[in-house]
Amino acid sequence: MELNNILITGGCGFVGSAIARAIAEKYPRCAITIIDIAPPGSIHEVPSQAEFIKVDVTSAVEVEKAIQKVRPTTVIHTAGIVPVLAERFGRRMQSVVWKLNVDGTRIMLDVSKRLGVKAFVFTSSCCVTIDDMRLPYRNISEDWPTSQTSLIYGESKAAAERLVLEASCAQMVTCSLRPSVLTGPGDYQLLPAIHACIAKWETPWVLGDGLNYWDVTLVQNIADAHVLAAENLTSTRTAAGEAFFIQNNEPIPFRDFCLAIWAHFGHIPPFTVHVPLSLAWMAGLLSECYTWFSGTTTTLSRGSVRDACHMRYASGEKARRILGYEARLGLEQGIRLSCEDYARRLGIKLPERPSLKAKAA
Amino acid sequence: MGMLWNIAYYSCHPAQLRSIIQWKVWHNPPHERDASKDPETLKKSFQFLESTSRSFAAVIKELHPELLVAITVFYLVLRGLDTIEDDTSVPLDVKEPLLRDFKNIIEKDGWNWNGNRPEEKDRQLLVEFENVVAEFKSLKPAYRAIIKDMTNKMGNGMADFVVKAEREGISVQKIEEYDLYCYYVAGLVGEGLTRLFVEAKFGNPALLDRPRLHKSMGLFLQKINIIRDVREDHDDNRHFWPKEIWSKHVDKFEDLFDPKYKEAALNCNSEMVLNALEHVEDCIFYLAGLREQSVFNFCAIPQAMAIATLELCFRNYAMFQRNIKITKGDACQLMIESTQNLQVLCNTFRTYARRIHKKNTPKDPNFVKISIACGNIEKFIEKLFPSQKVEDAQRVVAGQASEKDEETKKREQESWDDMKVMFAIMGAMVLVISLILFFVAWMLGARFDLAIEELRKGNFRPPSKVQHEEL
Repeated sequence: MELNNILITGGCGFVGSAIARAIAEKYPRCAITIIDIAPPGSIHEVPSQAEFIKVDVTSAVEVEKAIQKVRPTTVIHTAGIVPVLAERFGRRMQSVVWKLNVDGTRIMLDVSKRLGVKAFVFTSSCCVTIDDMRLPYRNISEDWPTSQTSLIYGESKAAAERLVLEASCAQMVTCSLRPSVLTGPGDYQLLPAIHACIAKWETPWVLGDGLNYWDVTLVQNIADAHVLAAENLTSTRTAAGEAFFIQNNEPIPFRDFCLAIWAHFGHIPPFTVHVPLSLAWMAGLLSECYTWFSGTTTTLSRGSVRDACHMRYASGEKARRILGYEARLGLEQGIRLSCEDYARRLGIKLPERPSLKAKAA
Repeated sequence: MGMLWNIAYYSCHPAQLRSIIQWKVWHNPPHERDASKDPETLKKSFQFLESTSRSFAAVIKELHPELLVAITVFYLVLRGLDTIEDDTSVPLDVKEPLLRDFKNIIEKDGWNWNGNRPEEKDRQLLVEFENVVAEFKSLKPAYRAIIKDMTNKMGNGMADFVVKAEREGISVQKIEEYDLYCYYVAGLVGEGLTRLFVEAKFGNPALLDRPRLHKSMGLFLQKINIIRDVREDHDDNRHFWPKEIWSKHVDKFEDLFDPKYKEAALNCNSEMVLNALEHVEDCIFYLAGLREQSVFNFCAIPQAMAIATLELCFRNYAMFQRNIKITKGDACQLMIESTQNLQVLCNTFRTYARRIHKKNTPKDPNFVKISIACGNIEKFIEKLFPSQKVEDAQRVVAGQASEKDEETKKREQESWDDMKVMFAIMGAMVLVISLILFFVAWMLGARFDLAIEELRKGNFRPPSKVQHEEL
């Protein structure tokens, strides 16, 4: 049960560093090794007890050398590439994404098994299922199929996850965690994109009915889930060969999530315009044509329209039952912490939250 | 005047009128009964039921015969307790013993009491309470034991609050006090009813193992009443909104009614609504455990009314100015929806949760919490009645068409074939009609030969000038 020697790939990243901090908090004497392509920066804080090794996980030689040196009992594999928003719906980054997410995972698995690692926790993504946007995903379970023909990220994670789960055996048990869309202090993708809408006067527009639910997870809770998974694989092993959706279990409409963030930055849309889905889709198509002609990239496309209107939350029952996972940090508090962190990085100060005791008008 | 207003109102809201007519004309009670053979004491009891609660009486009277009298008696006993507790003219040294001993009083033949002030609305019930006693004693022993036990708990609970109110005034400080008060006046009712249902085998016995569920049934109803009646209670110098909540928004409770503090009042209102929303999932869960239709109706109707009232109150400043309630048309529509099955009722809950959601605003300090509460209701209902199946998703991913899709495709193919035949027939008809018209024109003297000749020469238009010779 006690974790004593863990290696975290992608340990300098958003998720990896949070996992390292969670392990250091719970197991102060655990030996933590972080491998990543670049050393820890200032945005994602890494615990002082962690040792860093510069490794490219797509290089089998480098991976073997690192694991040979550390001999971890547990590997948490979070290293991966998430296409930026502008590239998410295209195919330009396919080879890069595949090389790191799939081939990198295969290398990690092979070397880990060969060198005596006992437990392997893989950071997958809810995108293995929901990137196939032909269907809405309401309260889905892990029985829902992964898709091999969706977006490049979802496809790559689905392929990698299949490798991981099939590799589970008595010698080395594996499991896969599928975090939903996540945010938290250090968020560099979701929150900045939403915040940017304020400056671009995009906040009044509502696509569709505005009631598509997302379950955004906080990175601290994702880290907790990884610790629970590692503990399970080194004790009861009931999670072996299994995949788990990890969420905050607090679904809210994507629109409300955005409104809450904007409110923290002192912005409330003065009015609301509901744009029919078909019109938004047409605008996305026109934008794609322009992009194709001009060779530039844009955030507006048919894919991003579908993404913003997509229903996506899971039941979270399996993770609760087998891992004992509960979201420790609530969404409301998490949004506040994320906004405060991002404001600090921007060098601005958040406006005082409207006082609960309203002043007389 | 009321008639004219009604005519004008329903002319502008035909859907509401339709709901009223639909309920009045088409509703079939699960059980109908012949009242002619009732003993005099039972008739009297039903009269009191009607006079003390017109809305509830209709639902109680539709209950299964096994439970009808037991629940009627239970209701009247609680109403008696409530009438004693509510009357501020009764001195404490008289009131407290009455409340605590009421469990024994209901077994005393011929007992009645005339200590209420004349204006007390339901005093006549106590003046003729011997009827209720007689009916209570004619119940099955198991039902009597349940009612007596609940009367004991509620009597003591009410007495505790009355004593406290005497010392400290009627005001609630903490949320847990708020919950406790609601438990004594309403949560215990839920417990009693549940025990009656299970005893009669109309409810899943597992409901007894989850007291949180029937507790929530009672608390939800009571909290909605407290939220809605805030103006009325304030005018009576009674404050049930917990200080723990309202003190975050205003310094004095009276400030909630001052238009200067409108925004704070609305925020306070929504926090009260948020507090009540947390019971919705338990209520739905409870209703899923009921087995008999009339019992389901009996429990579902008040809950549906409650969620509609909650939505009406949410961020509605009018409730600080006057009493508000849902329209009669909406009430009838809710009763129609509540008396079908759990899924229809869940759709109603979801509809009202979404309306609350729509009114939510980021200006509200509890914006995210309310959004999450509504989301949890949505998720819970989705769990009970999934709108999608794993099998469908698997087929989509595998690239196979489902049986439904194949049927649809076949139907479309048939439609396409039919359409082609239709077009062919139409084309033929047009052709035939054209030929007939040409023939008729020729018969009437049209010179088609000249027209053809002119076209051959290249003259597609009539001459620009027509010269006429001198007459």
